[in-house]
Amino acid sequence: MSQLLEATFWSATVAGGLRLATPLIYASIGETFAQRAGVLNLGLEGYMIIGALTSLYVADPTVAPLGFLAGGLAGMLLAAFMVLLSIRLYANQVVVGFGLTILGIGTTGYIFRVTTDVGGRDRQVSLPSEVDIPLLSDIPWLGDALFGHSWYTWLALGLVVVTGFIASRTIFGLEVKAVGEDPDAAAARGVDVVRVRTMATLMSGFLGGLGGAALMLGSVGRFQPWLTANRGFIALIVIIMASWSIWGAAVGAFVFGFFEALGFNLNNVFVDVPVEGLNAIPFFVALLILTASARWARMPRGLGENYVPTV
Amino acid sequence: MNSETGAAPASGTPLSVRGVSRRFGAVQALDDVDFTLEEGEIHALVGENGAGKSTLAKIVAGSILSDSGSMSLFGEPYQPSSRREGAAAGVAHVRQQLSLVRGLTVAQNLQLGRPDAPAIFNAGAARAEVERWSDEFGLGVPAETLIDDMPLAIRQQAEILIAVAWGARLLILDEPSSALGPLETQALIALCHRLRSEGTPIIYISHRLPELTELADRLTVLRAGKVVVAGADVRDADLREVATLMIGDVTLLEVDRPEIQRGSIRLAVSDLSVSSPHGVGCHGLDFEVAAGEILGVVGIAGNGQDSLAKALTGQVKLTGGRITVDGTDISGSAGQAIAAGVAHIHEDRSNGLAASFSVADNATARHIGNRRFTSFGVRLGDKIALHARELIERFQVRPPEPAAKASSLSGGNQQKLMAARELEQNPAVLVAHGPTKGLDPEAAKAMRDRCFAAAQAGGAVVVISADLDEVADLAHRIIVLYRGVVTDAFSSEDMTPERLGAAMAGLTETSGATGD
Repeated sequence: MSQLLEATFWSATVAGGLRLATPLIYASIGETFAQRAGVLNLGLEGYMIIGALTSLYVADPTVAPLGFLAGGLAGMLLAAFMVLLSIRLYANQVVVGFGLTILGIGTTGYIFRVTTDVGGRDRQVSLPSEVDIPLLSDIPWLGDALFGHSWYTWLALGLVVVTGFIASRTIFGLEVKAVGEDPDAAAARGVDVVRVRTMATLMSGFLGGLGGAALMLGSVGRFQPWLTANRGFIALIVIIMASWSIWGAAVGAFVFGFFEALGFNLNNVFVDVPVEGLNAIPFFVALLILTASARWARMPRGLGENYVPTV
Repeated sequence: MNSETGAAPASGTPLSVRGVSRRFGAVQALDDVDFTLEEGEIHALVGENGAGKSTLAKIVAGSILSDSGSMSLFGEPYQPSSRREGAAAGVAHVRQQLSLVRGLTVAQNLQLGRPDAPAIFNAGAARAEVERWSDEFGLGVPAETLIDDMPLAIRQQAEILIAVAWGARLLILDEPSSALGPLETQALIALCHRLRSEGTPIIYISHRLPELTELADRLTVLRAGKVVVAGADVRDADLREVATLMIGDVTLLEVDRPEIQRGSIRLAVSDLSVSSPHGVGCHGLDFEVAAGEILGVVGIAGNGQDSLAKALTGQVKLTGGRITVDGTDISGSAGQAIAAGVAHIHEDRSNGLAASFSVADNATARHIGNRRFTSFGVRLGDKIALHARELIERFQVRPPEPAAKASSLSGGNQQKLMAARELEQNPAVLVAHGPTKGLDPEAAKAMRDRCFAAAQAGGAVVVISADLDEVADLAHRIIVLYRGVVTDAFSSEDMTPERLGAAMAGLTETSGATGD
């Protein structure tokens, strides 16, 4: 019990939270783009897992950064189906999205089974070394929490800044919001709705794939079927909590990671409490925040609706 | 007001349209139309619904192509194949459905889709530009307010402002005043004059004549796709004559109207007011309809007809007054309206029927919960189908298939199905809103006969329609709606195109006229 009063317990929890949040950050900022553009991209879990497996199979014989990039491209390839079926051929977004998730989980599990021996011990990568940024880790209190992260985490935080800028400060960001809010009016103002939705969805596929790759190369190191374990769907929750803001999505991903880490760490404190109960903490917190977020969350008006160009 | 010095490098006539025609299916929307917009003028384009005004505007803006004819813009041949091309040439079309993106601010809309915008959105510069133009025209357009949160009049000003900021050399305003109040209309007129003095010529599409005297320099009248008045000087024009020309000849008494015995008052409407968030609502309506009588309600679309139809069928809360059927107050209650025997032929069949339900379910929808068709809450399919079959036979719905989906029927048969549902029992009051809209002549005749039959059976019938011929055929008495008030009321024998046109265009002085 007394551990709860020590600063190291909490800084370790924050640090663990940031580590666990890293894949979620990639996935949720990408998905935020797609949903801001009006595309309910439920294939996210699929993009993540296909990114995870691809990154392993590329990084294993080569180097991690190459595997990471390949993971992103694999996610983008799966997202291309979303573009083709829903955005170009107007198939129902929910059906296609779920289909891609199931396809991703099934295909990766199958490929993994037929290409490895039992347990997959022959296919694994070593985890990355820690990259400490001198000044950051000298900050009192926070410093400990910002200590010992891999470059996957730093890149994720950097991408939050970049994509946040794109979303709010560029014409492309405006176009994304416009086609998600009011596609007919956007088209009347000369915006190519199909093109913008295509780009946002591919971006979501790429970042979702990177998220899976970051999970694989940054914190797990070896594959197992359905490795992502619902992280794609958690990212979908994070986006609603964040009311479709990029910054908010990053914060939401961290909050989720923090409570997940808290569950793990409390497990060492309260050894009598079943681990399943503590692991449920982040979901319980998410439920509370989701309920509260109904007060502030404003969904893009055209979310989930296909846009059929007239003439 | 008229100055030759403008920002626009105008050389030659701003717009010249020669011999433009356009056909949509069987309808000749435009037939060999000539139109000239001179430098520094506001040119009003007037006509009834469906006269071709918006079609001409769309052709000039580049949204649709003409079948034949030619155009020139500021002296140069002009043949836009898209709205974007039209906009690039300097033609801005402010439509009835405004095209600002709702989740964005005015400043964001200013930069969205702008041809020469840089890739980085500079919020400060965009705000400053909106404020500069807003000040220059003396408008109160807020730069950083979401479009959703602005009243319609301000949205419209914002759209005009953005068009000018994008470098429009010629503006087309398509019925800009149709949803505006009097003060807002004044502000719009001031803005138009301001734009004219800055050298931007305007095509102003409207069917509200009173404001044109103050606003426009010249006017062109279209009727059924043809020019009937070409560029007449507004100051010399007799607006009453223009109104008559807009309407054309109303052919009276084409059908044999059966003699119907008039009975006692069944529908009484007193001081009825309804406010509508998107339209003009209606204000202080007083009328009574007797058994066997058919009252026609006419007016240009959007002058309160929807609100009246909803009020009479109990679908909307009244802001004032009351509606009684045979002495029972039905105000604001659809359930009581149905119980009192109010039948409603809906203007829009897609709203008047449950399209994905079967013909049988639609035909018997007024009996939901009736013990005849349920047993302990379970619907008795056989009895419903049997009853539906009777109705199908009586009202000649084709194909006679109770299980078919309502959406699979043709328009005329959908209308018959709706009539079967509503007119199965002789209604106390029939509200027929656009009863023959979009029907072929035969189906239309069948529908008119239903209206007569409802009256002959002792019902009070209210026909609300934009089709003047239809009202002339059906009604014994007519009231005219303009901006939600009755501007004239007369019996059908006294109906003349002049009187009708003047009342519909708002040229009548009286606004408190009653229907008796």
